[in-house]
Amino acid sequence: MQDQTITITIDGQGHSTTDLEGFTGRSCEKVFEDFRGGDRVKLERKKPAYYTGQQVQQEKSHR
Amino acid sequence: MSKYWVSITELKEEKYLVDALREMGYRPEVHQEAVPMNSYYSEQEAKQANIIIRRHELRGACGDIGFARQPDGQLTLIADELDAYHGYGEKWLGRVQQLYKEKQTFAMARAKGYILKKREVIQTKEGQQVRLQSAVRR
Repeated sequence: MQDQTITITIDGQGHSTTDLEGFTGRSCEKVFEDFRGGDRVKLERKKPAYYTGQQVQQEKSHR
Repeated sequence: MSKYWVSITELKEEKYLVDALREMGYRPEVHQEAVPMNSYYSEQEAKQANIIIRRHELRGACGDIGFARQPDGQLTLIADELDAYHGYGEKWLGRVQQLYKEKQTFAMARAKGYILKKREVIQTKEGQQVRLQSAVRR
């Protein structure tokens, strides 16, 4: 299983970029909610693995 | 890899703001109800704030610097316009927000069971960045 890491980079204006690795679907959304805090999200992008993981889970649940 | 996002820090939690200001070497006053701030120009409209750094702690500043609680819960900077030219402008506020965000992230990660693996300070052309790496506790 791939390591699950959260990398947050905070710049000199206090803006932050958060990068999640190794998360898929719901686990990804939970971490997103935890780390977002009360901040205003300017940009949000899901990476291919987000969907890949979800498809795998769905395929498993259909069996 | 799964997701990334960019967010703008909003100052809402008093304790992290106070901790950030303390780390910068100030001794901020904290008031539940906003109190008047001192200004260099007595004829200026009286300003009030909930968190105040008094002028004697702010080298070269014309007046006190404060943060006032807004109806939406945000704490916004209240300062004499002239002080933006005395080292208390956007860059100063950015440093406050950077420290605030770091302290907020540490506290949240600890409370929710994440493990802090690494903290790095990176020098860039745009200034100092802080990079925090956390992992999920297994």
